[in-house]
Amino acid sequence: MKQTSKTNWKTTLFIIGALTPAMLVSLGLVVYPMINQIIRSFKDPKEGTFTFDNYVYLFTNKISSRAIWYTVEISVLTVLLTISISYLLAMYLRFSNSKISKSIGNMYLLPRFIPSLVAVYAMKQIISDSGFLNRVSLLFDENSALYNFKPGMLYNTKGILFMNCWFNIPFATMIIVAALAGISESVVESAQDVGAGKALIFFKIILPLSYKDVLIAATFVFMSNISSFTTPYLIGASQRKMLGVYLREQFGRGKYEIAAATSVIIFILCSISAVVYLYTNMKEQAWEEN
Amino acid sequence: MDDTIKLSVINMTKLYGNGDGVKNVDLDVHTGELVTLLGPSGCGKTTILRTIGGFIDLTDGDITIDGKSIITLPPEKRPTSMVFQSYNLWPHMTVHDNLEFGLKLRKIPKETREQKIAEGLRLVKMSGFEKKYPGQMSGGQQQRIAIARSLILEPEVLLLDEPFSALDAKIRMEMREELRKIQTDLNITVIFVTHDQEEAMMLSDRIVVMSKGHIEQQGTPRQIYDNPVSRFVAGFIGEMNFLDDGDGKQIAVRPEHIAVTKGTGGILDGTVRTVMMLGHYLEMTLDTEKGLVKVYITSDQANQFEKGDHVTLNFDHTYSYNKE
Ligand SMILES: Nc1ncnc2c1ncn2[C@@H]1O[C@H](COP(=O)(O)OP(=O)(O)OP(=O)(O)O)[C@@H](O)[C@H]1O
Ligand SMILES: [Mg+2]
Repeated sequence: MKQTSKTNWKTTLFIIGALTPAMLVSLGLVVYPMINQIIRSFKDPKEGTFTFDNYVYLFTNKISSRAIWYTVEISVLTVLLTISISYLLAMYLRFSNSKISKSIGNMYLLPRFIPSLVAVYAMKQIISDSGFLNRVSLLFDENSALYNFKPGMLYNTKGILFMNCWFNIPFATMIIVAALAGISESVVESAQDVGAGKALIFFKIILPLSYKDVLIAATFVFMSNISSFTTPYLIGASQRKMLGVYLREQFGRGKYEIAAATSVIIFILCSISAVVYLYTNMKEQAWEEN
Repeated sequence: MDDTIKLSVINMTKLYGNGDGVKNVDLDVHTGELVTLLGPSGCGKTTILRTIGGFIDLTDGDITIDGKSIITLPPEKRPTSMVFQSYNLWPHMTVHDNLEFGLKLRKIPKETREQKIAEGLRLVKMSGFEKKYPGQMSGGQQQRIAIARSLILEPEVLLLDEPFSALDAKIRMEMREELRKIQTDLNITVIFVTHDQEEAMMLSDRIVVMSKGHIEQQGTPRQIYDNPVSRFVAGFIGEMNFLDDGDGKQIAVRPEHIAVTKGTGGILDGTVRTVMMLGHYLEMTLDTEKGLVKVYITSDQANQFEKGDHVTLNFDHTYSYNKE
């Protein structure tokens, strides 16, 4: 007995020792700058005294408050779009045995391998009003409805959402495919056997068995979009900015306190989904308890 | 059991992409009859059951219930219910909800549902497990819940794919008796899959012996035991000695059809190799010039023989087959 407790004690010490460098690094690189930012966000730029003014400004100024709500709106819409498309795609990949399904299954992750900057620029070439799609449409007859087609997707919400789907669908699909792979064919078959049709099987069997992973995918998509920069910067509107772009702008203008307050708000929005993530992950469903 | 035919499988063929499957299966099952599909692993038992349940399409042939073809119906529209080899309970539903799901789909009122659930659980001796989840039960318990889930739906044809495989010997015996009782009481038509010949003998009105994707023989347990039509059936059902007879022929004789006496002069001579006590009778193995032979003797005869004795054999009844 003594022997084991001694070993345990040693093991603990070893683990602490092994973890210390990592802890120090994360303290230095994450926690310290974060605290620094938080302190800064409560400072008056001139006097250096404590104040709520930076936050008051962000929520009352027209441009910045719009940026906050716009960011939330874009992120929520992206989550809804991405998750519904990914769910459908994942269902198709899981339950169809066709050749098409198999080849999509092999390829759907590829967009993840294209650097985001490259992808956004390439997409711009395609969807801009004088881009590839437009040029193809010019080949049609002048009286055709398709002639001189202008997608109208750049520098507005549509463009950002489209690009966000491009980036997030592969990732969300990957998570949902993994979840659906855990649902055995036989569980679906026995539901069919007692008389359940497709809709019922989805709502009573597949959804309850996979919603947890879907929620986890959703929180990740939400988080990455709250702080996104490249896409809104390159194809967003100049009138309505997302927080990432706004933050950079304030930084560029030397408004460090406002920038700090902006990043704290971004952080808080992200933590909301982190809480959802932790909650769903830790909450054991009744049927998983033993 | 009566004379009307409930289910017909007519010249049915199902081949998988790799050429495996079942060929030219013909099978009639009467209303209230319990038919067993018996055969070694991989012979196509599950395949036949799944074509009847609607989970795989036929390559050729037809399947009818009450004379009407069902092969174009999806599983949820077929009047069959299947207990799968892997039991397949829904992991996120309690036992109660697993049983209730199908009843709800049939729009059965709440009160009747509860009665049926309680009755179903009682039949499989699982009362009191309503609130458990499948993951909290043993394989055998899950298997019994799966049986109850199918039974309470009162299907036209009940399909059971090795439903007792995860049960221990005692419960298996009890469940066989229980199933037979429920089945005759409710006059349910059942197709029962097993690779256990003893189980098939005990349970069945009729046994269908399968080998490598086709039916070798159909008949009552008695018919099949007494008149195996092929070397395969003879070897698969009950104990059988096979003795080479030249010309690619083999003589087959059951241990209980062999009379043993000391000395010589019978059909075949041999020496006693082992004597083994098996309850109210003994099994004796003998070395002969045609190989090892197994015989049964009563406990009265037991003290006449011991290891190394020279004996001679006479056969009451033999079969002759082409060597495989
Ligand atoms: N989905 C499938 N694809 C290809 N071949 C299959 C498939 N399912 C079964 N087979 C093949 O068909 C044959 C019959 O299989 P089946 O599952 O019907 O056997 P079984 O008699 O039920 O065996 P067991 O007693 O092991 O359950 C086997 O050779 C098997 O390899
Ligand atoms: Mg099988």
